[in-house]
Amino acid sequence: MRIAAFLPELLRHLFKKPATVDYPFQKLAVPKDFRGTPYLRPELCIVCKACERDCPAEAIEITDVDPAEKRFKMIIHNDRCIHCAQCVDSCPTTPKAMQIDSLYEIATDDRHKLKAEWVFARAVMKPKASAPAAPAAPAA
Amino acid sequence: MSFQIPIGPQHPALKEPISLRMTVEGEVITDADIRLGYNHRGLEKLAEERTWIQNIYLTERICGICSHSHATCYVQGVEKLMELTPPRRGLYIRYLVSELERVHSHLLWLGVAGHEAGFDSFFMYTWRDREIVMDLLEMISGNRVHYAINTLGGVRRDLDEGQKSKILEGVATLRKRSEYYFRIGATEPSFVARIAGVGMLSKERAIALCAVGPVLRASGVARDVRKEDPCAVYDELDFNIGTADSCDVLGRVVVRVKELLESYKMIEQMVKGLPDGDIVAKAPRKAKPGETVSRYEAPRGENIHYIQANGSDKPERLKVRAPTLANYPATVEMLRKGFIADIPLIFAAIDPCICCAERTVTLVSARSGEESVVRMSDLRRRALARSGNAPVKGNAVWPF
Repeated sequence: MRIAAFLPELLRHLFKKPATVDYPFQKLAVPKDFRGTPYLRPELCIVCKACERDCPAEAIEITDVDPAEKRFKMIIHNDRCIHCAQCVDSCPTTPKAMQIDSLYEIATDDRHKLKAEWVFARAVMKPKASAPAAPAAPAA
Repeated sequence: MSFQIPIGPQHPALKEPISLRMTVEGEVITDADIRLGYNHRGLEKLAEERTWIQNIYLTERICGICSHSHATCYVQGVEKLMELTPPRRGLYIRYLVSELERVHSHLLWLGVAGHEAGFDSFFMYTWRDREIVMDLLEMISGNRVHYAINTLGGVRRDLDEGQKSKILEGVATLRKRSEYYFRIGATEPSFVARIAGVGMLSKERAIALCAVGPVLRASGVARDVRKEDPCAVYDELDFNIGTADSCDVLGRVVVRVKELLESYKMIEQMVKGLPDGDIVAKAPRKAKPGETVSRYEAPRGENIHYIQANGSDKPERLKVRAPTLANYPATVEMLRKGFIADIPLIFAAIDPCICCAERTVTLVSARSGEESVVRMSDLRRRALARSGNAPVKGNAVWPF
């Protein structure tokens, strides 16, 4: 037993630089697998709706715009998104139509500003890429 | 003359809402009563309306500290139902994250214990060191708190050589720091005097009240799901169960520091012996009808998920028994004969996670207005007695 056994450690830390960084001026690097905000590459989307079905937060919404021309609208409600990146895992196309970025400062003062929207024509799978995941239930 | 002191649902000593009612005589607590239900979220009902995949992220959000524990427990159970065998590499990465999470949870708890005992510099240093393991988890999975590394049939992120060497480096630093804390715990007289003899729970009572995790092991019972019912990779690893015989808060500190050192050992073994191959096997969308119980040793104790499948892509029932819930009866026992000033310390020593545990049923007797918190086993016994007496339904049809 020794009185103030912690004291040498405390004194040593007087001469160390702080463990924190000066945040708004200095930023930490984001890890390689960071899950930021999901976004769509409309030219690759085959509208299989796998992302809409698997999203745990029901943040993805795909609707018909013009069934005759096979035009669709996708809305990602980023205010609901829990950033799990399951949509990226579920996406069957190669390269993936659903992607995730590495932005982390996405706060706004209004949740409606977080909505992202794409109107696009359904992509047709190229014959060589269609082998593993054949058109999985295209939208009626 | 005895008084009743209410603590909570909102109280500076409690981080989450729970109500403790102490009956005191002078400074000594003669009786304690715990009231739950301030944080009920309807999670189990919600799980019945989500698919197997969606529920991974839901169960992960049961708790913020042991998020991986709940997700792993759930995924283990669903894999059993789907008769799915994840590849070895996937399992190694999954349980590597488990052990890293245990390290972060125990370091956090050590800080909280130091804070409750009035040793705030200890709290700040353990939390600074916890950043090392948080950074490792962020590097492996991409995020700090909800790792989302589990998926049905394996994991979602792979490890490369650079990450492996960073993990080993981080663990070496952490081991040095933990050994230092162990030494501080043993030599700092004021800290030891504050926590020794507080919150006594004898071995017999700990077993009788079904305590779990470090609370049970601090009462001298070497019980650990990782050793007794080794799932997946734990039977290939060399580790010991950390126990203490002092039956008090000091013992719980010692057990957690010992577990830290065991976890470092396991992490090193897993990183060095990481097998090659795939990290994930393809999972079906539906599970066959059946039921399973999945057990997992979370940092706070044994975590149990009961999963029932009805053949569709959604579970019929998901029941979560979080370790904190199992420790409540023991907490009441620990609080008795203690002092009012020890309440935060004793309560913190079970590492309570209220939001995990909020799924009991409180029964209010209509005649006397008396409330009683009922355990699942009691409810089941009552249900069995009730169905035994009920008339046989001749025209009931199996719905599936």
